Amino acid sequence: MIRSEKLGLVRDGNVILDDVSFSISKGEYVGLIGPNGAGKSSLIKLILGFFKPTTGSLTIKPKIQFGYVPQNFSLSSVVPISVKEVLMMSGVKNQDQFMLKLEGVGLDQHFLTKNFHQLSGGQQQRVIIARALCSDPDLIVFDEPLNGIDYETKLSIYDLLFNLNKTKKLTILFVSHEVDQIIAHCDHILCLNRTMHTGCHPLDFAKGIITDCPVLDNVSQTLPVHHHHN
Amino acid sequence: MFLLDVFQYEFMNRALVVGFFTAICTAMLGNFVVTARQAVISDMLAHTALVGVGLGIFWQLSPTYLATCTTVIAALILWWLSRRKDQAPEAISMLLLTGGLATALLLTHLQKDNYIPLSAYLFGSILTITENEVWFFITSSIMIVCVLIFCWTPLLTYVFDSDYFRTQPYAMVYEILFMILIALAVGVGLKVIGGLLLGALLVIPVLTAQAFGRSFRQNILISIFVNLLAVTTGVLASFYLDVPASSAIVLSLISLYTISRLKSFI
Repeated sequence: MIRSEKLGLVRDGNVILDDVSFSISKGEYVGLIGPNGAGKSSLIKLILGFFKPTTGSLTIKPKIQFGYVPQNFSLSSVVPISVKEVLMMSGVKNQDQFMLKLEGVGLDQHFLTKNFHQLSGGQQQRVIIARALCSDPDLIVFDEPLNGIDYETKLSIYDLLFNLNKTKKLTILFVSHEVDQIIAHCDHILCLNRTMHTGCHPLDFAKGIITDCPVLDNVSQTLPVHHHHN
Repeated sequence: MFLLDVFQYEFMNRALVVGFFTAICTAMLGNFVVTARQAVISDMLAHTALVGVGLGIFWQLSPTYLATCTTVIAALILWWLSRRKDQAPEAISMLLLTGGLATALLLTHLQKDNYIPLSAYLFGSILTITENEVWFFITSSIMIVCVLIFCWTPLLTYVFDSDYFRTQPYAMVYEILFMILIALAVGVGLKVIGGLLLGALLVIPVLTAQAFGRSFRQNILISIFVNLLAVTTGVLASFYLDVPASSAIVLSLISLYTISRLKSFI
């Protein structure tokens, strides 16, 4: 679905990405991790077509439909907006489609007329996911979407995404700091720090095979498997 | 009858008609502008419009049309600058804002046979609107309202959630369109209320409506009502009390806003 070969990105004289090669196939649940400033957001922007690569190639299957769940949805909170209006932003106008997508993320049709800003953080996140699903995307990109959401809600959203991936065969690219959750759910992990550390199996990653990945230090503290090694 | 005297004068009829259309289009657009947090941009564009006014006075052409052209060009430049992230957009806005006013002052000073005062465009001059200008303002207002209605969803997405919006097709086209709409509104409002006071028509009715409205649509309807009330009050006050129309309009808007705020204390 997406294949990149030796991808490089330079902006304002700074090397943001260098020698990044990876591929994402249909139906995969891919996790993208890396420290702050590793270029995760830039890579996503490349995939979504905001930037053009400076070097290398990024091949994306033609006519691919993207869904996007931004980092902090910046929905202006001063002005009331209904859930229906939020879903309409996807360009879809069909009411039945809205109901279907809302049910898909575990919300019922009563939410359609509610004010988005009066929903809980978790419910808001579900609406944003439903919006991304409205356009029936081939690939849905989550850019660290669960910042500032409580732990329980987070787990339920992770479950939701896992089920969408397994039952609807939805291809997911999930960017996160939470390595333990990525390991628990993703089919394969991309570890980025300007350059891409080869995609690997979560278990291999957990065992600390990629020793030069900076996020691993954090992982080692959260993973029991690593303690065992020590 | 004393109260109906106002309709005997052609200039008052023109002022009320133009005021009516301006009130509607600025209130409607204002909701989008405030939600997108671009209220300052409208003020900046109003100042660059004064360059057009200055050119009009200098060449002795209609300042109104030239001001609209300059504002549209300034809007496109600002859009282009806002995409480059190397300098803070509000600082660039300040540069264009002061530059616009300074250029207008210079051009007005250079034209000695100046028969149009710059102040008419700084502080508005709704009672001196000409027949041709009436049609120009009405057409521009209707255009703004129609574009907002036809492009409702994409523009709503743009002002509410710009990050998500940029992943949508034709995002750039709508961004430019939105800037042009603000520029057109500035062109309309310049003579009605003046470049320095124009922000009031776009922003204050929206702030007032936010105390009552429970949806974006309701906010728009309430702010249109607020603007209509304030513009009518302002124009009539200028006739009966002999005060500047634009200051009467702005003070009416602020009074209505204050009343709306009192609601939250009750």
